Amino acid sequence: MVLQVKKACKNFGGLSALSDVSFSINKGEIFGLIGPNGAGKTTMFNLITSMFTPTSGEIIFNAENINGLKPHLITKKGICRTFQNIRLFPQMTAEENVMVGEHCRSKAGVFSSVFRTKAQRQEEERIRRKANELLEFVGLGEYADVVSDSLAYGQQRRLEIARALASSPQLLLLDEPAAGMNETETSELFHLIKKIQEKGITVLLIEHDMPLVMNLCDRIAVLNFGKKIAEGTPADIQNNPDVIEAYLGSEEEDMYA
Amino acid sequence: MLAELINPYHLQVASFILINIILGVSIYITLSTGQLSLANAGFMGIGAYTSALLTLNFDLPIIVGILAGTLMAGLFGIIIGIPTLRLQGVYLAIVTLGFGEVIRVIFVNWESLTKGAVGLSGIPHMGREILNTLKGFGFDPKVLGLQNNQFVFLTIFLLLLVITTSIVMFFRRQNRSRVGRAFAAIKLDEKAAESMGINITYYKVLAFAQGALVAGFAGTLFAHVLAYISPADFAYHRAVEILIFAVFGGSEVIWGPVFGALFLTVMPEVLRFISEYRYMIYGLIIIIMMAVRPQGLIDVNILNWIKLKTSKRGQKHGTSSQKSM
Ligand SMILES: Nc1ncnc2c1ncn2[C@@H]1O[C@H](COP(=O)(O)OP(=O)(O)OP(=O)(O)O)[C@@H](O)[C@H]1O
Ligand SMILES: [Mg+2]
Repeated sequence: MVLQVKKACKNFGGLSALSDVSFSINKGEIFGLIGPNGAGKTTMFNLITSMFTPTSGEIIFNAENINGLKPHLITKKGICRTFQNIRLFPQMTAEENVMVGEHCRSKAGVFSSVFRTKAQRQEEERIRRKANELLEFVGLGEYADVVSDSLAYGQQRRLEIARALASSPQLLLLDEPAAGMNETETSELFHLIKKIQEKGITVLLIEHDMPLVMNLCDRIAVLNFGKKIAEGTPADIQNNPDVIEAYLGSEEEDMYA
Repeated sequence: MLAELINPYHLQVASFILINIILGVSIYITLSTGQLSLANAGFMGIGAYTSALLTLNFDLPIIVGILAGTLMAGLFGIIIGIPTLRLQGVYLAIVTLGFGEVIRVIFVNWESLTKGAVGLSGIPHMGREILNTLKGFGFDPKVLGLQNNQFVFLTIFLLLLVITTSIVMFFRRQNRSRVGRAFAAIKLDEKAAESMGINITYYKVLAFAQGALVAGFAGTLFAHVLAYISPADFAYHRAVEILIFAVFGGSEVIWGPVFGALFLTVMPEVLRFISEYRYMIYGLIIIIMMAVRPQGLIDVNILNWIKLKTSKRGQKHGTSSQKSM
């Protein structure tokens, strides 16, 4: 087991965004986390990456309790994420964005950076090479020198994935990577996530695009109003009456929203 | 020939330009992690007083004073930098401005040590010390066709030129490295930077301390170039002046505050009548820059444009964006 979430709760004032959610993810699998808007999916990511501290509950990564670790240490342990509302470093080029992602796997400090020691130059060379490999990997090879702000939306989403991969994660958290993508882009994304899985990286995926989730995921957990209402294979989930109810309910709400 | 060209007064002005450039760099460093600190006038004062008192009271060599003053300012940088980590934008600016004011009040009131508002005079003068040392070895500036005070001011100027260039090079190199990328990432999006594995506490305190070190260093130079300091030299006006270097010149690239310091120190010297209205003009500059060009005069685009104009092979450079800064 790579990740185990045990009875995670998160309250915002009176609002209970997550209550008693438990699930565990096996090594190498693509695990889907779905649910209607406001169900608590992103909040779960924020708990796992320590952006928020859980009100109660435990998060265990590789048999180690990681509650309360600083976010940058979580990344160093091997968990990295993308953001639902893209958070690239806008004025940096694509290459620089990915190079930042390698921060916790490199170590040059002030002295070696200023005096350009041999080790520093080699490390910098390695960082740049890996950044370009990753850009190639996500299909942005030609865009290395383009300022990330001026990339198309779908490209920015893939760049975020490359930046996260740069930290050499064992567990990659993707928050709605297909949002705003057209059909071709979504199908490219499908293949990209498969390739990431083939690299041996475990993926936790939040996504509203149901065909994508159902085709991609090995197992899925469904959240609704902060509670887990189902867990199982895509086939189980598709036939689960509670899940159908939750989604239909929310779609009606959406219509009046 | 050389002797006629060397005017001590001009050299003195040039030396203050260089010290101001160092101060401009000091605010730039902290700003490059997105922290607006107005404490640098205070750090400058700490550096200046520490070095002046050590050399005056204990007869220590200037170089020891400079080192101690710089480190003392850096130490204060860490002490102020840690508790203010959570403060953003205007709040950080206000607190750091307050800190500078506290430092000034201490200089005024701790009379037994600092001689209060009167200030310290007779601080060992860098140029003269160098001349005396050289004379000890039998050197006489007349060999170069220079008078003593020409030689003194020329030495200071050249020394400061080397120091300033080294500081600018130091931070240019730091910018183009893993550390610089971490600074830039924190400035652009702190939360995203943290999620990408950057220890934001460490880098923010580092930037704050570096800014303090550099400002303190500028203060020690100021003390040993002018040979006289008083609390008024490190007051609110100085803090605003340093801020203006960055607001006017720009703080996206290191050349911004360098240019800002250069231009704004030369201007009142060339246009004497402006001098009196200096702070009024500073106020105007802030308002105009904020309205028209919030990133300051020098930004990445301007630099690329200059490179394009100056380089025959400009075409290639133009597209490589900000990497070279
Ligand atoms: N920082 C916060 N402060 C207060 N409430 C929050 C905060 N973050 C999330 N919430 C609330 O928690 C609930 C769950 O939000 P969350 O963002 O986790 O939903 P989600 O499942 O990701 O939804 P979506 O599909 O719309 O992204 C929502 O009601 C939201 O308003
Ligand atoms: Mg969400």
